[in-house]
Amino acid sequence: MNFFTFKFFSIALSLCVTLLLLMAILSLFFVPKFEEVLEALQSSEMLYSLKLSLMTASLSTLLVIAVAIPIAYALSRYDFFGKAILKTVMNLPMAFPELVLGLALLLLFSRTYVGDLLHYFGISIVFTKSAIVIAQFFTALPYAIRIVYAAFEGISKRYENVSRSLGYTEFQTFKNITIPLVRNGIYASTIITFARTMGAFGAVLILAGGTYMKTEILPITLFLNISYGNLGMAITSGIVLITISFIAILFFEYMEGKKSVFED
Amino acid sequence: MFLKIENITIRLGKFNLKDINLEVKEGQYVTIIGPSGSGKSILLENIAGFYTPNKGKVYLKGEDITYKNIEDRNISIVYQDYVLFPHMSVYENILYGLRKKSTEKIDNEKEVREIATLLNIDHLLERKPLTLSGGEMQRTSIARALVVKPELLLMDEAFSALDYKIKKEMRKLVKDVAKKYGTTVLHVTHDFEDVWAMADMCVVLRFGEILQVGKPDEIFAHPNSDFVANFVGTNIFEATVVRKEPDLTILNADGFEVYSSCEAKIGEKVRLSIRPENIIITTTKIETSAKNEIEGMIIKVEKRGHIMELSVQINSIILIVMMTPNSYEHLSLALHSHVFLSFKATSVGLY
Repeated sequence: MNFFTFKFFSIALSLCVTLLLLMAILSLFFVPKFEEVLEALQSSEMLYSLKLSLMTASLSTLLVIAVAIPIAYALSRYDFFGKAILKTVMNLPMAFPELVLGLALLLLFSRTYVGDLLHYFGISIVFTKSAIVIAQFFTALPYAIRIVYAAFEGISKRYENVSRSLGYTEFQTFKNITIPLVRNGIYASTIITFARTMGAFGAVLILAGGTYMKTEILPITLFLNISYGNLGMAITSGIVLITISFIAILFFEYMEGKKSVFED
Repeated sequence: MFLKIENITIRLGKFNLKDINLEVKEGQYVTIIGPSGSGKSILLENIAGFYTPNKGKVYLKGEDITYKNIEDRNISIVYQDYVLFPHMSVYENILYGLRKKSTEKIDNEKEVREIATLLNIDHLLERKPLTLSGGEMQRTSIARALVVKPELLLMDEAFSALDYKIKKEMRKLVKDVAKKYGTTVLHVTHDFEDVWAMADMCVVLRFGEILQVGKPDEIFAHPNSDFVANFVGTNIFEATVVRKEPDLTILNADGFEVYSSCEAKIGEKVRLSIRPENIIITTTKIETSAKNEIEGMIIKVEKRGHIMELSVQINSIILIVMMTPNSYEHLSLALHSHVFLSFKATSVGLY
């Protein structure tokens, strides 16, 4: 195959796949009737699911970022015993099927000392709203750590050295210098985390149970309604999920556009 | 002693320092020179506290600072790549260390403006670092390091990213400012001009070991090993001591005699070093105060920037001689010309 035909082939393939994907997304918007979508949007189930989704995803995103920043910093800046193992374990959920992650979490919180301990203090996780947050947290955490870690790795340690030598402690330096320098990495990982948590399904289904109007978040609404054959509701939850992701990405682009603050 | 480094050993895998001992007096400008991988930067970063040594101690003004927190040392560092905080203006960068030491806003502003004026960046204070030229960034970085009045200023290849003209200006500027502030400076470099222009004392480092410490002209004129001689770019060749005269040692180097003012025993085989810039070249034999006058033939001519580098062969020995293109033309020199080389006995080092 000469270069010209390969060029033609690769471009044609890209266009075909993109077109197919675009058509699939658009069919979400054009297949159902507008009234059907409007009605589904106003249903109490959809409003409950949307509200619960936004609340749990926001909370788990906050938790993920709060945990991912120090973990990524430790992995990037310090050498310690077991670092390689920690890195591998942290990355495991990315390779795990989500359902297996959910099952593993279900066992952790029901059949181990962790579950017993929580039960002793009167805390139950399995099949509750907390389970949604926990499942979302573990689904998204590895991605967030990866992005923030890459951002820390991109910052020369010399910035921190200079700040320390000018009289600032490790934490003050982290706050004054490191965090502002990895700001874009943190925005990126926040958006990716939010998108991941909004769309988390398998682990949530297993750990939180996917109960109608109790632990029902948007992907669960989609799943439940497809099972009942209620296509209108299923499609509407799909549209809502896509719209939220789209807004998140637009917001990210906007925030990233503001990075010219370095070049004023 | 102001700064005392005692038996410092650091093992970092690729870069190692072995039993480093060094003493620096207050206000001295010390250059540390050596090829890449010699451990120069590790030594600086150890003094700053970024690396803890496996063995040894660092004392500053008599206090053991080996394990002292970085932020409590009052040692500033300037890197080759400036390391200015990109999210802060030039003003904020310089103010950064000052703000930590004192919250007196008015005094701080005065000090920032004063050092900015001294380093010629007072018109750039509102700018962000990424909009500055290399020279401007390095001046900002030096201002930021000096404004906190550090006990010690460490410069890690601080001028190597700058072009020749800016480098020359910076050398003078830094030397003047360091003098004005009374700052002791340790400057890691691989550029000999930094050593000539700035250093009160020079340290030659190789493979993590100190090979020689001394005043720059001592090291250049009397390198203590082949490595130092080759590294600092001096002529070296073997010779045997044949006789002695008062204050003079006379050596035989491949059939011709060389006078040196250094001490050596008769019959001893030694190495001889002569700096290329200490050799005077003439076309006829003339009377000078120089003890050495040797005839040779030009076998190679190379132009290096503004300097002509001539290789002159005397029997089997080749000496490098430096001169300006102007003198080269004036003497009507050419390849294979016969010339006379004169140099003083005091400019011949033995080791």
